[in-house]
Amino acid sequence: MSEFFLEVFTEEIPAKLQSSARNNLLKIFRDFFAKENIEIRGKEKAYSTPNRLIIHFDKIKKEIIKKAEEIRGPKTEAPDIAIEGFIKSNNIKKKDIFKKQTDKGEFYFFKNPKIKLKTHDILEKNIPDILNSISWNKSMKWGQYQLYWGRPLKSILAVLDGKTLNFKYHHLNSSNVTYIDKNLEEKTKLFKSFSEYQSYFKKLKIIIDNNFREKFIYEELKKISLRKNLKIEIDKNLLKEVTDLVEKPKILFCSFDKKFLQIPEEIIILTMKYHQKYFSILDNNGKLTNNFFVVSDNEDSNGYIKSGNESVIEARLSDAEFFWRKNKSQNMVKQVSELKKVNFFKGLGSYFEKVQRIRKLSGIISDELLISKEKIEIASSICKVDLLSDLVGEFPELQGILGGYYANAQGFEKDVCLAVSEHYLPIGIDSKIPKKPYSIALSLSDKLDSLVGFFGKNLKPTSSKDPYALRRSATGIIRIIIENNKKFKLRDLINYSANLYNQQELKIEDSNLQHEIGEFLVDRLRNYMKEKEIRTDIIESVVGNNGIDNILDSYKKALNFNKVIKKQIGEDVVFIYKRASNIISEPIKKKELEQMSNADPGLFKNEIEKNLYKKIHEIRKFFTNVANENEYQNMLIELASSKKEVTDFFDNVTVNDENDAIRINRLGLLQMLCATFNNYLNFSKIDNG
Amino acid sequence: MASKKIIPKKKIQTFQDTIFNLQKFWAKHGCSILQPYDMEVGAGTFHPATTLRSLGPKPWKAAYVQPSRRPTDGRYGDNPNRLQHYYQFQVLIKPSPSNIKKLYLNSLMSIGIDYKDHDIRFVEDDWESPTLGAAGLGWEVWCDGMEVSQFTYFQQMAGIECNPVSVELTYGLERLCMFTQSKKNVFDLVWNNEGILYKDIYHQSEKEFSKYNFEIANTDNLFKIFDMTESEAKNLAIQKLSLPAYDQCLKASHVFNILDARGVISVAQRAEYISRIRDIVKDTGKVWLESQS
Repeated sequence: MSEFFLEVFTEEIPAKLQSSARNNLLKIFRDFFAKENIEIRGKEKAYSTPNRLIIHFDKIKKEIIKKAEEIRGPKTEAPDIAIEGFIKSNNIKKKDIFKKQTDKGEFYFFKNPKIKLKTHDILEKNIPDILNSISWNKSMKWGQYQLYWGRPLKSILAVLDGKTLNFKYHHLNSSNVTYIDKNLEEKTKLFKSFSEYQSYFKKLKIIIDNNFREKFIYEELKKISLRKNLKIEIDKNLLKEVTDLVEKPKILFCSFDKKFLQIPEEIIILTMKYHQKYFSILDNNGKLTNNFFVVSDNEDSNGYIKSGNESVIEARLSDAEFFWRKNKSQNMVKQVSELKKVNFFKGLGSYFEKVQRIRKLSGIISDELLISKEKIEIASSICKVDLLSDLVGEFPELQGILGGYYANAQGFEKDVCLAVSEHYLPIGIDSKIPKKPYSIALSLSDKLDSLVGFFGKNLKPTSSKDPYALRRSATGIIRIIIENNKKFKLRDLINYSANLYNQQELKIEDSNLQHEIGEFLVDRLRNYMKEKEIRTDIIESVVGNNGIDNILDSYKKALNFNKVIKKQIGEDVVFIYKRASNIISEPIKKKELEQMSNADPGLFKNEIEKNLYKKIHEIRKFFTNVANENEYQNMLIELASSKKEVTDFFDNVTVNDENDAIRINRLGLLQMLCATFNNYLNFSKIDNG
Repeated sequence: MASKKIIPKKKIQTFQDTIFNLQKFWAKHGCSILQPYDMEVGAGTFHPATTLRSLGPKPWKAAYVQPSRRPTDGRYGDNPNRLQHYYQFQVLIKPSPSNIKKLYLNSLMSIGIDYKDHDIRFVEDDWESPTLGAAGLGWEVWCDGMEVSQFTYFQQMAGIECNPVSVELTYGLERLCMFTQSKKNVFDLVWNNEGILYKDIYHQSEKEFSKYNFEIANTDNLFKIFDMTESEAKNLAIQKLSLPAYDQCLKASHVFNILDARGVISVAQRAEYISRIRDIVKDTGKVWLESQS
């Protein structure tokens, strides 16, 4: 078994390219080994630093055996030149070839003997092609070379079993040495094994293994925070990015002037994170402090690095402070008309027009939520004004949040500020949702308005593309409804919203909108339920017979049924339904039974039929009288409670009576039973067992 | 006596010395030291010694200071970090040499930044200029968290693929000097050893130009000038006069920047104006390239 390791050394590869590059490099070699039948016995790993991509296979086959094979050449009647070419290209002599008949005619052949090939030789021959197959999300050229690579490629180290793999790759020759100093690319060192390589860099405090590096940074950040009696919530993406920006991490504890803590903390956190890659630090109550961590790529023996970073963040924060002061004092109400200058979307008007629509839509919703129409209209009017501010220009992801801060600074009521602040929520799977009625009304109106507008312009998302984030809006609507336990007449709201566009003479196609947006929302509801791990058949059984006006109801029924499907109640309910529906399915097909027939008690012949009939009525009564919407469990218990009557019926009553009227009447009774069950959900969609 | 760590007092490098030192350094490494281009430009990149010279097969090495104007960044001289007029030191080398990182780091040494004492980071910053039809890959260089330079390998200029590829280094001189002189306010930078500060030279002009750019500039006239320079550029490109045509592109670009600062260009119009500038730059680039073969 042999050890193989390869390092490609470049100028700094961007953090976001590194993980895909190292994994891709590993994959193309793994695929190559598989193709060549070079067995991999041990570990296979890829690592990276900003300047190095490394792959390491600790045990691969030293040599492979190629079985003897017959290679077909040209036809025997082919011109001499073709035959000579065949001989030449296979590097053989004329005496080695022989004629052989095949079903396609007579051809020349030669027999390649069984041979042993050294992995060393195979790799030397093939690495250049393998490297050519690496894929970059973005690549470049440099100097006078025609090679495309993520960043300028400077050296290739390739070693198998301590020996150099020699090959030429474009203008570079491989070797067993690499640069030690990533900056000047001057000093080099020779390596024969990966462990030697890794431990050599370890001595220089360079951590080659990015996973170790990430862990090291994580633990240092935690350790220092704890020691200082502070708290840190480590942003995973930032941690990954920083890990890929340094090779010898050194964590520095820094601080900025406390006066900047008056700026909204979201701005401070984002400034530090996005612009400077700093980790913000909280106190034990979760409040932002004026401390932060810098992950430096160098020792700070003179303190220059700490003080440098501290003055950079102060310069940035004083800029932010300047805009914060300016923006929060710009009268929001007076600015509403300036939204005319900001285009919402071509054909859907400006943000001013959007705000007018949201205002009316949220007004309608306010009636349903029993909140002040006047207040929600105010919130609607000012909700997009922050788009005009410098700070949102700088930090687009703070739209809404900053609006809320401005509104607060200008003395708007708390409900209004919160509604403005939260109206873009939810923005991701883990995002919180608006909970307060004003926030709900505003968020819902904004999202519905967008859905209606884009669908009305036939700009629906496709399976791969959703440039206007309509899926997110629709999921948002679903979550707001379900997680707040609210019911809305969405169909009416969609129509109303479409009318608002038409009143503004922004033409949208509204003939099929209700249906299309309905389907789209139902699809998001399906997805939402899937994430809640509700069985697919149960999902299908509720989305069919409940429209978008009953999203909450559908969800709760599915959720509650899902909880018991594997329990006695669930099994009973399914059993009862299936037994009854199996018997009536044939007669329904033959049209002996109408879709909605009822049994006539006058035709009952015994108590058992009467009992079942009575039970069905009991259940129906229970369903209509369910006062509390959270009685879904009880509804299922009620359905299951018919087991006795149903079992008695099947055990003692022959459905197929000689008298056709009685037979049909009994089938009708079972059909009533099924219909009653389907009031809960469509049990015919539920899988057996 | 107990050994005391002696911290040598660092002599402040003045603004003008920083320029001299960079010029000396790059002259030593074979660059022609040019003078600023004599027109208003938004960045050192716009100097024809960078834009046009990066096109075509001929090798080229140049370095120069370029006063740069960004009307929207004006703050009436009130902001410690933002200026509507500032200086860039620009280096362009074609083809990019393989030891360019080393050269760059040594150039920092020449202006008083010893990379061994600092956290120098190359952070991805792919560059694109829609007005120039240009794109490049590279980094912003951070020194202790402060962006001090842009380091870019040009891939495309004036819509034409670069071959061979040039490397462009851009030093933000004010930022660099604020760093080396430990100043929090750009106006406090020490210009020379005679006690002249940055504010003595530029504070009044920041105030006046901010007012001009944001409030006074006659937009009706500027719109007309834009149209005039555009048609002049087109005509000059037809006449195969690439350098005069390029001057018109620069004029159009600057006029556009002032109009932008005046807030009279809507979002939709913005894209249109940018593409009009790009079109004349592309025409010019083609004419220039023909002249190079």
